[in-house]
Amino acid sequence: MSAAPIDTGRILRDLDELWVNLGKDEHGGAGSDGVLRACSMTLVVCTEGHDAELGETLALLMRDHPSRLIVVNLSESAAALTASVTAECWMPFGRKQQICCERIAIEIPEHAIGDAPSVARGLIAPDLPVAVWCRSRRLLHHPEFRTVVRLANKLIVDSSDIEDLAGRIATLRAFRDADTRVADLAWTRLTRWREAIAAIFDDPDYLAHLDAMDRVVLEYQGPHRPMSTCYLPAWLAHCLGRRFETRWYRAGDSPRPRLFRVALHGTSLDVAIKVEADRSVQMHTGTRDSHCVFPALGEYDLMREELAIGGEDPVFEAVLNLAPEFA
Amino acid sequence: MLCWFQMPGSNPFQDPVRFQRRVRPCALVIFGANGDLTKRKLIPALYRLAYERRLPTGFAIVGTSRTPLTHDAYRDQMKEAVQRFSEDTPLDENIWRDFASGLFYEAGDLQDPACYAAIAARLDEIEATRQTGGNVLFYLSTQPSHYGPAIRGLAASGLHRGKGWRRIVVEKPFGVDLSSARALDAELHLAFAEEDVYRIDHYLGKETVQNILAFRFGNGLFEPLWNRRYIRNIQITAAESIGVEGRGRYYQEAGALRDMIQNHLLQIMATVAMEPPAVFEARSVRDERAKLLRSIRLFKPGEAATHAVAGQYGPAKSGGAKLLGFREDECVSPHANTDTYAAVPFFVDNWRRAGVPFYIRTGKRLAKRVTDVAIQYNDAPHSPFEAAGMEDAVLGARPNLLVLRVQPEEGISLRFLSKQPGSGMKLRPVSMDFKYGSSFGVRSPAAYETLLLDALGGDATLYTRQDMVEASWNAVTPILEDWGNRNFDFPNYDAGSWGPAESDAMLARRGDSWRTP
Repeated sequence: MSAAPIDTGRILRDLDELWVNLGKDEHGGAGSDGVLRACSMTLVVCTEGHDAELGETLALLMRDHPSRLIVVNLSESAAALTASVTAECWMPFGRKQQICCERIAIEIPEHAIGDAPSVARGLIAPDLPVAVWCRSRRLLHHPEFRTVVRLANKLIVDSSDIEDLAGRIATLRAFRDADTRVADLAWTRLTRWREAIAAIFDDPDYLAHLDAMDRVVLEYQGPHRPMSTCYLPAWLAHCLGRRFETRWYRAGDSPRPRLFRVALHGTSLDVAIKVEADRSVQMHTGTRDSHCVFPALGEYDLMREELAIGGEDPVFEAVLNLAPEFA
Repeated sequence: MLCWFQMPGSNPFQDPVRFQRRVRPCALVIFGANGDLTKRKLIPALYRLAYERRLPTGFAIVGTSRTPLTHDAYRDQMKEAVQRFSEDTPLDENIWRDFASGLFYEAGDLQDPACYAAIAARLDEIEATRQTGGNVLFYLSTQPSHYGPAIRGLAASGLHRGKGWRRIVVEKPFGVDLSSARALDAELHLAFAEEDVYRIDHYLGKETVQNILAFRFGNGLFEPLWNRRYIRNIQITAAESIGVEGRGRYYQEAGALRDMIQNHLLQIMATVAMEPPAVFEARSVRDERAKLLRSIRLFKPGEAATHAVAGQYGPAKSGGAKLLGFREDECVSPHANTDTYAAVPFFVDNWRRAGVPFYIRTGKRLAKRVTDVAIQYNDAPHSPFEAAGMEDAVLGARPNLLVLRVQPEEGISLRFLSKQPGSGMKLRPVSMDFKYGSSFGVRSPAAYETLLLDALGGDATLYTRQDMVEASWNAVTPILEDWGNRNFDFPNYDAGSWGPAESDAMLARRGDSWRTP
């Protein structure tokens, strides 16, 4: 069964009309310099159900990465495929010109998922990169979703809450091909941890003892091991070019699984980083302890970092290859 | 990229795609710690780097100047400077407290060996308590006349050598002419090797100047059109709407040619005209810049008088306010012969650029504040529309103009002809515009943030080298000599205009005209 068809040509005409009207409205105002249409990529967001925070996240993202935004929402309440166009506008501080991005919202009923790829294909901004952010587990595993991903240069998912680590890694590896890169916000969340570890070994005194590292201990909180406890040792193994003993411990409760502490041990090496729930960080290196704060990162911060990487992320590619060993 | 192919002794945990570039532990010594540059630029830039966690743990600053101050009094002064001059960085009390804990002050006279002994003692203490590894960057933020004593003092005290690396940043002007530039260089080399000398030209640290390299060498489209076959002329404009405002004493001696063209604008010209480097690293990029500057054709005797134009602004009224002329400034002689405007056509003697004029102009009290580079392309060899009167007569027949805007409204625009909507074939120029700030929502770092981080990290790509300095002085010396021997009939342009009429006439003689930025 198919839902009522959407005419992509009609949506594009609606977009053109939207810009004409925006231009008229703004030029009419006193002291206004009109609107600037900004688009550096197409961002397809696949989601399901109503999420008020997502709208805010996307509005912020548009300022960093102006895009043609296509939000595909899998909706239980929708009877037919529907589409609407709006503009996401903001006025930079001190400027008289509004910057606007276009947003196409598509509601898809469950039975019409198969129609989504053809609709999305017709709406992609020509000759610009395409990123697909899949926030829906059901869509990720839907057979038709692969067709949507084929349109993309980059597929972004978030595996932070996934329990089946090995299964998710296999899924991500299966999506990866010559044209599509895969990104995982669970990996993006590790950037501060990895930077902190790297900073410790900027000190030649610690670097000299790195060869002695033979054991990694990862402590986590929450109902099950988070994906970060798989990615982090895979990264260490990739960087060192060798294996080491890896142990995992559950170190308390948390509503969502989270990495709590990482320790690198060896005969002459004793390094540990612990991040409390309030993001305060305790770094232990030998006999010294120091403190700092990891900024709290929401989806906006994580997506902002991911969308800034247009090309290859060779470190994550390598980590994804090694990750099954630590799942 | 495989981490384990790293050089022995290097940190294997690097991830250049994601990690911010980190600086090894070090300390910074600022000579001229109470000066305008320190307050307006250096400390706000360093605070911003601290705010973004770009500085290493234990990073320390030792400020030195003559005025007796306690550490705390100096910290208070610098806090006020950050609050006043940081344009887009809020003062966070916690971050300031951490930053200020590494901020020290040593009063002293640069001629007095005791000053260096005090700095040495402070650096020893910092090294022990903040683990800076003996790495020190010295920053000469003083008047140029103090460069020599500071360098000699560092050498005599042994501060130029230490357990870690020692580098020195020198602010422009690098001399007032070729011989004084060479003398300064000789003094610098008494204490520091060339690779440890960082001659700062803050224009090279501007994001949009760096973007010229990305635009030229990152795209396949433009570089093939970047040569004498297609380009008619290149205009580089650096206009200021303000006058000398407090810098009259310095400016009276320097003038626009020395203050702007010899350094900033010739560096921009080199960036626009240099050949592609094999790799983007300091030596290759600087080699290409230097090669270009050495290729600038030098004026023959007598040419400067007819080719280059000097100007000086007179009094004017603007918006109901009376604007003082240059000679009316309280720090300026009423008979000053100083150029507050300079326009010079330069030519580059190489195959790619032969015959293409680079018109460079700069001035104070011009119509508006703008710095840009405009590449004017040749006309189409034949226009089927011209004979039929289809092109817009007012807007001219030279449509193709590529403008690289350095400031403000940083970006790039391309002008071309388009059919005007409606029946018939009427053409009008339109502009395709890229705005740096709109396309990248992230904040662009200030030039001093970039350059300080580069110097702390040992990256000299955006710093000038002595051979570049000398080539620049060579290019302007014939003009300086000519202007030094003439008595100009100044003032010759009104404040708020685009400069003297002679400047327009100079281009008109070549069949060109200045564009209006």
